[in-house]
Amino acid sequence: MNISIVLNGAPREFECEPHVNLRTLLRREGFFGVRYGSDSGETGAAGVLLDGRLVSADVVLSAQANGHAVTTVEFLNDPTGQTLHPIQAAFVATGAMQSGYSAPAMMLGALAMLRRNPSPTEADVRDMLSGILDRETAYVKPVEAILRAAAVMRGDATEPFRPQILTPMTDGTNAVDVPGDLAPVDASPAVPRVIPSVDVPAMNVVGKPELKVDAVKLVKGNAAFGDDWEMRGMLYAKVLRSPHAHARIVKIDDARARALPGVHAVLHHENTFKLRYASGGQSWPNPHPYDQLSFDDVVRHVGDRVAAVAAESIEIAEAALALIDVTYEVLAFNLDERAAMDADTPQVHTESDSIGIHDASKNLVHHLTGGTVKDIDAAFAASDQVYEQTFRVHQVQQCPIEPHISIAWLDEDERLVIRTSTQVPFHVRRMVAPLLGLTVRDVRVVKPRIGGGFGAKQEMLIEDIVGHLALATRRPVRLELTREEEFVSSRTRHPQTITYKTGVNRDGTLRAQKMSIIGNTGPYGTHGFTVQIVSGLRGLSSYNAEAKDFDCKVVYTNIPVPGAYRGYGAPQAEFALESHMEDIAFARGEEPMDFKRRNWVKLGDRMDIAPRLGERGSVDDIADEDLPRVMSSGIEECVAQGKRAIGWHRRDDPTWTTPADRPNIRRGLGFAFCMHGTAIPFMDMGGCSIKMNDDGSFNVAAGAADLGTGADTVLAQIAAEVLGVTMEDIVMYSGDTDHTPFDVGAYASSTTYISGMAVKKAADELRWKIKKRAAKLLDVKEPCSIELRDKRAWAPDGTSVSLEDVALNSLHTEDQEQFMGTASHVSVDCPPPFAAQFVDIEVDIDTGQVTVIKLVMAVDCGVAINPVTASGQVEGGMLQALGYAHCEEFAFDDTGRVVNAAFGPYKIYRADEMPATEVFLVQTMEDSGPFGAKAVAEIPKDGVAPALRAAIRHATGVGINEIPFTPERVWTALQQA
Amino acid sequence: MPHVLSYHRPTSLANALTLLRRAHPPTRLLAGGTLVNADPAAAPVDVVDLQALGLAGITIDGTTAAIGAMTTLQDIVDDTRLPDVLRELARRELPSALRTLATVGGTIAAGSWESELLAGLLVMECTVVTTAGEQPLNELLANGVAPATIITSIRVHTNGDMSVARTGRTPADTPIVAVVARRTANASTVAATGVATTPILVDPAHVGAIKPPTDFRGSGEYRNHLLRVLINRVSS
Repeated sequence: MNISIVLNGAPREFECEPHVNLRTLLRREGFFGVRYGSDSGETGAAGVLLDGRLVSADVVLSAQANGHAVTTVEFLNDPTGQTLHPIQAAFVATGAMQSGYSAPAMMLGALAMLRRNPSPTEADVRDMLSGILDRETAYVKPVEAILRAAAVMRGDATEPFRPQILTPMTDGTNAVDVPGDLAPVDASPAVPRVIPSVDVPAMNVVGKPELKVDAVKLVKGNAAFGDDWEMRGMLYAKVLRSPHAHARIVKIDDARARALPGVHAVLHHENTFKLRYASGGQSWPNPHPYDQLSFDDVVRHVGDRVAAVAAESIEIAEAALALIDVTYEVLAFNLDERAAMDADTPQVHTESDSIGIHDASKNLVHHLTGGTVKDIDAAFAASDQVYEQTFRVHQVQQCPIEPHISIAWLDEDERLVIRTSTQVPFHVRRMVAPLLGLTVRDVRVVKPRIGGGFGAKQEMLIEDIVGHLALATRRPVRLELTREEEFVSSRTRHPQTITYKTGVNRDGTLRAQKMSIIGNTGPYGTHGFTVQIVSGLRGLSSYNAEAKDFDCKVVYTNIPVPGAYRGYGAPQAEFALESHMEDIAFARGEEPMDFKRRNWVKLGDRMDIAPRLGERGSVDDIADEDLPRVMSSGIEECVAQGKRAIGWHRRDDPTWTTPADRPNIRRGLGFAFCMHGTAIPFMDMGGCSIKMNDDGSFNVAAGAADLGTGADTVLAQIAAEVLGVTMEDIVMYSGDTDHTPFDVGAYASSTTYISGMAVKKAADELRWKIKKRAAKLLDVKEPCSIELRDKRAWAPDGTSVSLEDVALNSLHTEDQEQFMGTASHVSVDCPPPFAAQFVDIEVDIDTGQVTVIKLVMAVDCGVAINPVTASGQVEGGMLQALGYAHCEEFAFDDTGRVVNAAFGPYKIYRADEMPATEVFLVQTMEDSGPFGAKAVAEIPKDGVAPALRAAIRHATGVGINEIPFTPERVWTALQQA
Repeated sequence: MPHVLSYHRPTSLANALTLLRRAHPPTRLLAGGTLVNADPAAAPVDVVDLQALGLAGITIDGTTAAIGAMTTLQDIVDDTRLPDVLRELARRELPSALRTLATVGGTIAAGSWESELLAGLLVMECTVVTTAGEQPLNELLANGVAPATIITSIRVHTNGDMSVARTGRTPADTPIVAVVARRTANASTVAATGVATTPILVDPAHVGAIKPPTDFRGSGEYRNHLLRVLINRVSS
């Protein structure tokens, strides 16, 4: 049918089928800022203006738009490309985008709102943003951007967006009293509060709020993401998924599907290559077990793969799926890790060819142990008091708004190219090649811009499917997961049952601590080994104790597959650990913070459990002097800043905790001590090469994978700082296995620390070459006396030469040489970032409803290379952590099916309900990191759940050992108290 | 994407009804589209888009508001002549990018058991006008929209004081249970969501007779407890 639309002010005619929705039509016409988040429109990623109002184009038929005006983000773009619309400029200036996947929708919503109301309140802005879900920014900086854009469009004066520099409250080491009458910080919550350290030298680019290197293309809605790529002859893949939690495929008949016109391939276990593998994106050799096949004859969870189809269109592919006749022998199933090892529990893996399962007959994948002493029981016996508690943590999903999307094709050399939304392009290349019968050199993996990953994309998840289909059809093949598939067939956080047993001396110091875990890895191992190891590492690192012991059983069940999720085992462990420590303090009659402080690790303390719980095994005979130590810690400054920001003094004020005018309300404040890691020592490696161009600019090629985290920006800042140039002189390219050096990828809070150091090393090497050539040009004998700054090389006598002249000389004039620096980096250290997490809440004691009023996190992440992107990481991390603690939860029916595999029933926070947030960046100088940097991305996931539990306990006196704190769970606990 | 065979945009109710009354193909009405177009698993259908029938708009006559069936929820939010509580219930019904599409008529036809807006309309003594006649909203919710009929408008009483109490996982969550009350000089009316298959009018004296269903967000017992607590709140 013919569709007439006034599109961005110009009449346009389109031809389309009646079922085609407006998102599909616009994307087909090249308007790639209209993005897929779900079919039901609640993500808002496909937001456009329809007759000037924000709508989700997912749920608008193109035919419905016939005769109407449609506006896309391209409307904001200056045709000359010279300037940005004030809304775009504000999004760039405030760091309002991380991945930027949904930024076009946000900006269009802002445009519509500001046309109607030039002076919106924050509540107005948040209401407008309620239709656009964001897992990255916690909406903090987008709100700021829109309010600033409104001011600019009204003609009001605005101050540049930059961090607020605060005076330290401590001497950097010791705790201080925080009076209740201190004034709060006078700045927008979007502004990062930076507490500088005298140990950090002055720098020109590092530590500055430089604009994201990818910001302009993101605000323009340019084709940058995985699905923004179309190829002639492309086929569309769909996957047939199991309706059963556990079943054997007795028979599969694909004849009718193959006969359907437009179908080019139907693949399943009877016609694909069989090689057992582990899908987790990790360094070689991937940890056991190897228990997956591309297509198996047993399905082990609802949503497991059965078959895949490639067809001329999505509709044909879906129709073909319905024509595949599958006969199942339905088997018994189990979802609960606590029952997995029972004698009558069905065995998840009965095949003989899987490799590395500890005891398949008991569903026991791994039995992991480690500790600092041989006899932990003796240490408990010697303790004055012993406390034991068990906690349960649940299954949640990462929920990147961009689902998994992969496109594979054979290039002109008949090499397989996979353009895919991955955090681990190099791991994917190595892992997918053997499954397809190819060698690594036969495969190129390209990571475009990624619309969020959070661990879900640290996986070789669908790349083998598109690879198989592309090889089978010799055509390009695209596969994008639906939102429901993202929930049930992607990856999730591991549920765990965690028991802590702690021995305490009479003086309140810890003597012994044992952590026991039953970890639920679902039907496949993937990250099951490493996540649980990290749980042990994080769960036994935060507090000093003479004796520590870890015992973990990783078990199979039939839930959707757990894998990597930002925090990677730490959020589970720290919920249990912090809650346990809190309760011990109460049992001892102490203030929890005092008890924790007495025991938490401090500057110079040994991290004695780390060598015993390594991902490559245990080192048991390590000498005391060889144990890693804490070399930087700003925790007391974090605590002081956080106490002030949350109003900690109210904790002891009964008129505040029990408001007289609201008898059903109790208020509470909670605190959690957070300690994380930075990269995986001796394992994580990043590579970088930098070359100098004719004009004195530089191409930086890094293997690192920017998921929207700002990694490319941070790496460019490091290069610019070393080379004495501005960000404009750095051209970043990353995440392409053909054209960048190796990098393990984006996980384990490693990119700034590991890849950043690789960039620094490569830049240092290149810098030396530039200095030598400049010395020659300036007739200086000692190249080391040359300084690079302001795009010039300076001699001690004040003469200088431009880097352009250096480049022209080296490339064209004499002793011609391409100046390059190439380096890689692996760390022997794993410096811990520290943080203080605070939560302010209200509990409705009649209903159990918990309302979170404010989140404050003060983080010691060393030197934040970019305080705006770093604070954005903390804000977004806290949003996800809040969902974990408060409202997100997989729910199952009695067939093992997830009943809430959609946003709404699966509740993630939206803009109009987010609590206030405040982020402090406490500088310390971590000498092992690039320019003093440590990790920042994962630690915000650790503290919200235990701090929320602590706040509920403060408010009501009731400690709850299972999350999330949903109303009925809290109400039930209150009734039982 | 929905499995739409043909798209129709009639310009008269008569034409719309003619399309709707055909035996084949199966035909669905398309109001805002937030539900019909979000259902990719639905069987193939023709859709009849009601946007050209002139069914949108709000008129106020004394203490009665007539709201066209194709009036969007955002239109209700934006109309300052309407009671604030009703506007807030419309705002809470859906997030911003969907409430600009979703309509009053579509919301009634869907009859979600969790709809706070429907509870609000119930206590406002809502009358639903369809091509088959008029019907109180509570009866229509109980029986469903009659086949081959089209909701054209509703009427509500805007006088009285309204109050709402709710419990959810988060502030903007669809409530597990919500209670809306309206008090006029002559009567007090209470409606609730989350305790039956549709929002219902509730007699506070007979709450014990209500047996709410159980789902993952709340057991029947808990929902019943919430109902009592929330009724007390809106009554006090």
